Amino acid sequence: MKNKRKEEKQTEFGQNISVKNAELWYGDFKALKNVSIEIPERKITAFIGPSGCGKSTFLKCFNRMNNLVEGCRITGEFRIGDVDIYGKTDVNLLRRNVGMVFQKPNPFPMSVYDNVAYGPRTLGIKKHAELDEIVEKSLRGASMWEELKDRLGKSALGLSGGQQQRLCIARALAANPKILLMDEPTSALDPISTGKIEELAEELKKEITIVIVTHNMQQATRIADETAFFLLGELIEYGDTEKVFSAPADKRTENYITGRFG
Amino acid sequence: MERSDVKEKFYKILFAFTAIICIIAVIAIFVFLIARSIPAFGKIGFFEFVFGKDWYPDYRDTYDGELSGSYGVFKMIVGTLAATCGSIIVGGVLGVFTAVFISKFCHKRLKKVFDVVINLLAGVPSVIFGFFGMKVLLPMLGVFADNGSGSGVLAVSLVLGLMILPTVVSLSKTSIDAVPDSYYEGARALGATHEQAVFGTVVPAAKSGITASIILGIGRSIGETMAVIMVAGNAVNYPTGLFRSFRVLTANVVMEMGYAGEVQLGALIATGVVLLIFIFFVNVLLGLVTNKKKKDRASIKRKNAFLSELAHKIKIEKIGRIFSYIAAGVAAAGLVSIIAFVCIKGIPNLSAKLLFGKFETLSTISIFPSIVATLITIVISLLIAIPVGVFTAIFLNEYTKKGSKLVKAIRSAIDVLSGIPSIVYALFGMVTFVVFFGNKTSILAGSCTVAVMLLPTVVKSTEESLKSVSDSLREGSYALGAGKVRTIFKVVLPSALPGIMSAIILSMGRVVAESAPFMYTMGSTLSPMPNSVLDSGTTLAVALYKLAGEGRYVDQAYATAFVLLVIVLALNVLAQVLSNKLDKKLKGRKK
Repeated sequence: MKNKRKEEKQTEFGQNISVKNAELWYGDFKALKNVSIEIPERKITAFIGPSGCGKSTFLKCFNRMNNLVEGCRITGEFRIGDVDIYGKTDVNLLRRNVGMVFQKPNPFPMSVYDNVAYGPRTLGIKKHAELDEIVEKSLRGASMWEELKDRLGKSALGLSGGQQQRLCIARALAANPKILLMDEPTSALDPISTGKIEELAEELKKEITIVIVTHNMQQATRIADETAFFLLGELIEYGDTEKVFSAPADKRTENYITGRFG
Repeated sequence: MERSDVKEKFYKILFAFTAIICIIAVIAIFVFLIARSIPAFGKIGFFEFVFGKDWYPDYRDTYDGELSGSYGVFKMIVGTLAATCGSIIVGGVLGVFTAVFISKFCHKRLKKVFDVVINLLAGVPSVIFGFFGMKVLLPMLGVFADNGSGSGVLAVSLVLGLMILPTVVSLSKTSIDAVPDSYYEGARALGATHEQAVFGTVVPAAKSGITASIILGIGRSIGETMAVIMVAGNAVNYPTGLFRSFRVLTANVVMEMGYAGEVQLGALIATGVVLLIFIFFVNVLLGLVTNKKKKDRASIKRKNAFLSELAHKIKIEKIGRIFSYIAAGVAAAGLVSIIAFVCIKGIPNLSAKLLFGKFETLSTISIFPSIVATLITIVISLLIAIPVGVFTAIFLNEYTKKGSKLVKAIRSAIDVLSGIPSIVYALFGMVTFVVFFGNKTSILAGSCTVAVMLLPTVVKSTEESLKSVSDSLREGSYALGAGKVRTIFKVVLPSALPGIMSAIILSMGRVVAESAPFMYTMGSTLSPMPNSVLDSGTTLAVALYKLAGEGRYVDQAYATAFVLLVIVLALNVLAQVLSNKLDKKLKGRKK
């Protein structure tokens, strides 16, 4: 069994994402139309666009969370590094390598410690010393260690919304992911908590590729290196954030970022 | 194959397997009822059975020979209808107005007291209501009766009415409380008084919930056995007067199933089928009421406009307010007097000898064997019902596709099953488990019978608590690379635990409180300590029924009632405390 686990770890996921001709249907509804994109490693890439444009749907393709939705069908090629993630890859292994933070903080109803240790325990790590180390490292990574180190045994549901969301980031980090997906992680938070999470993202990109879906265009300009604009299931424009916002190539992008619709 | 894959498959098969057991139990009951009643219907004739006025069964009748007895249950059908109507007039009306009072007219502190007390009373065994009726109501009513006996429709209505009162109150109150405050505020903003706002806006908005609570009360009244037997008189008559002895369908089954002959037993099972048809109609009614919301708002509004005009003319809100106060007073008085009766009569009769003495002969009576038998029954029945029920719920909620027709069918079968009167389970247990475990009543047979009876409730309440676990938690777990089994055991089940725990404790309460299913599956004569689970025994509730029925041991009956009450109330308190505590532990201390 031990050998198996080692073998499993040998499936090396890279840190860049490459998608060719992605299409996605929910039943009869076509939610993504022929999307191709190359997401560079260890950068922050933002997906922007009006509600219902498919940006969150697209994000969830990267860790196959769409598999949980009934009637969802996906075609096209999705690669992380060299691995075809819709090929023979084990879904759970993929998800351990591609972490995700959700729109609403969703800490499990257990202690702070158990929340962070959930991922490593899933991997089969049982030794206390090892877990302690991972928990501390992850909480430090999410810059929460100082505020939480004395209340590791308390329920995570007693934390504030902002703390809960950063705990969810720490929880994702504990699985040691190569890529972190963030689905509107600050939309339910106040400006101060939002600021903390943005700082955190900039810190994390030294090690990890981050893809963030956001409704907040200022947020994209503040933290994203690359920005992709989606509309009605299509990728309209993609490139350097500064360029997308200062000199958009497409009229629709310009209309959106100048606030004419959305 | 990966080890994790093997684990996923193993649990999936385990959950599916328990679900199948559960479904088989459901099907078995229906098959049993149909297969065993068809010969009786055939021999007697369906219409002769349902509309026949004479019930003179002959235990020597067989399916091969000529019938010498007559088997018509029409008088009992009328009896059941009369008892149900009476109990709804008493319990339904009192219950709804009491709910309005608690929710809208009473002081905050009193409200809390009412809440706790009503919840506790919902678990009081029906035998205790029957016992109260027998010892307190019957002598009182007897004064007004020509024949000096108080038993009859009036006594049954009062006893059943009191019995369903806590259920009606707590469900009605929940639906009144659930009406958004904005309705009330809107009405007040238009210049309505508090009473006008309550009776003109809030109560009509809670109408479907209130109706549902009354219909559930009807279901309980139809299915109740022991409390009715103790005060109805049980002669096969039409209930032509308030004090005329009459018999209901459930009573018919329990009174004769112990010594029934071939055709007679068939006829009793057929009586169970008639009961089931009643319950089925009640369920359909309930479904209509709870689905009505979506349909045709306009016509409801028109009717409401008419009603409110009428209400305006007769100043219904003033009357309603007065009524609420009276109803709450009467309900409180009735329920408190039952508790007081049991305590006052029971405590002085408690003795160490009765509680823990060795049972030798009837002169040195002790309920210790019954206490032990009750405990054993709780353990065995929960060991069967809880794993099967919880796993079935997991299968239905976590593994099946939403909207699947098969699952819908299973759910509605379970719904029907949860409404079946316990006496039907008794019949089922008598011809299956009793026969299977050596053709004699035993603790094991009784426990299995009641386990089947508990299954639907356990499945339903577990499913409810699984449903209330937010999908975002499941997603969070999957996103960390956890498989389905790990997600279920580490995230979903712990979150659903408060709900599941209270379902378990309420199941224990039901085992303690039920008596009808045990009489002919487990034993009905007080006896010495059982040596094994294959011996027969009596639970406390059955012991109370027996002691109450025999004039010589009334003091012991009082004491038994007190012990029973204490156990049931303790279980209820435990359920509330535990689920609050677990809830708090999960939610954490708020800053």
